[in-house]
Amino acid sequence: MKARKGLALGCVSSVIFVSLGCASTPPPRELLDARAAYNRAASGPASQVSPASLHDAKVSLARAERAYSEDEDPTVVRDVAYVAQRKAEMAEADAATISSRQQAQVAMERARMAQAQSAQTAQGQLAQARSQLATTSQELERERQGREEAEKRAQQALDQLAASGAQVRKEERGTVITMPGEVLFASGHADLMPGAKAKLDRIVDVLKQQGDHQITIEGHTDSRGTDALNMDLSQRRAESVRDYLVSRGLTEDKIKATGKGESSPVATNDTAVGRAQNRRVELVIEPLK
Amino acid sequence: MTRLPKCAWVALPLLAACASTPKPTERMASTQSAIREATEVGADRVPEAQLHVKLAQEQVQKAKELMDKGDNQRADLMLQRASADAELGIALTREQATKEQAQRVLWQTRELQQQQNPNK
Repeated sequence: MKARKGLALGCVSSVIFVSLGCASTPPPRELLDARAAYNRAASGPASQVSPASLHDAKVSLARAERAYSEDEDPTVVRDVAYVAQRKAEMAEADAATISSRQQAQVAMERARMAQAQSAQTAQGQLAQARSQLATTSQELERERQGREEAEKRAQQALDQLAASGAQVRKEERGTVITMPGEVLFASGHADLMPGAKAKLDRIVDVLKQQGDHQITIEGHTDSRGTDALNMDLSQRRAESVRDYLVSRGLTEDKIKATGKGESSPVATNDTAVGRAQNRRVELVIEPLK
Repeated sequence: MTRLPKCAWVALPLLAACASTPKPTERMASTQSAIREATEVGADRVPEAQLHVKLAQEQVQKAKELMDKGDNQRADLMLQRASADAELGIALTREQATKEQAQRVLWQTRELQQQQNPNK
């Protein structure tokens, strides 16, 4: 009986305890915070970008609300409300994470496109540069070939000239073509002999092929006669040759005529053969500097 | 046979619930795992996340104490709080990391655009 009484008392106190919880107490701070957190999350981007997390938060809040309305232990209500608040905050954090990730993806996509565009532009420029380079190389090659051919032709012409009786040699001062005096002039005269012109014509042809050159025509005599006479004769002979070359189309201001007299012999003046060698006209062809 | 008063049928299950709740070992394990994960993802360098991880750790400690006292139901609720805090710590850390990454990408993109269009 005593036991029954005690049990009944315990029973009553339990019911009282439960019904105290049942009393319409104001919602705990945790529940208020959870509601606020959920409302904030629900009105933000979470509903669009992280609906699953927001749903979790909603379920948690509903559980807290149920615990509160069904007068569960206040500690339980506070605990589940605490959890609900965290879930709502998590939904917001998830939404922010996804938004940032999307922003980064958009930016990366833009960067990728910009890079692709840049690469394309660079490739275009490179192709253009390559094409220009190729053109320039071709031009240079053509120029080089042209120059080589011209030099070859000029050399061939000089070789032909040598075959026709004129001497051709390379010296430091340039290419020197030597014509024997007898071939060009009668003894003691400065007028060209008719046969000389044909020979000079061949020289003109060669000179025309040499491109831009400065030509010096030097008249030389042997040592017979006075120096003054020889100097005068050699000067006039050089001028005769120059005048003829100009008449055949060579540029006058690039041709210089000078008389050297007997000052530059190439052989002895003691023999007839030597003297014949000394009587000569030299055409010195120097490249223009 | 002793008859129980009617109210006992109401009170007994409530009392029994307390006594029969098993130890929340599974939730304990998953919560501790979440705390570890939070630390691994770098919660220590995000103050707000760090705070929640700390709260989670404290709540795990309280849950252990409650389990020692045999209050498994309360321990389970405490672990639910701890778990929510640990997961929030992870979410906040990820949010921060992603924001920083996005910021870096935006800067790089801007720099790239400036390199391409220096006049702009």
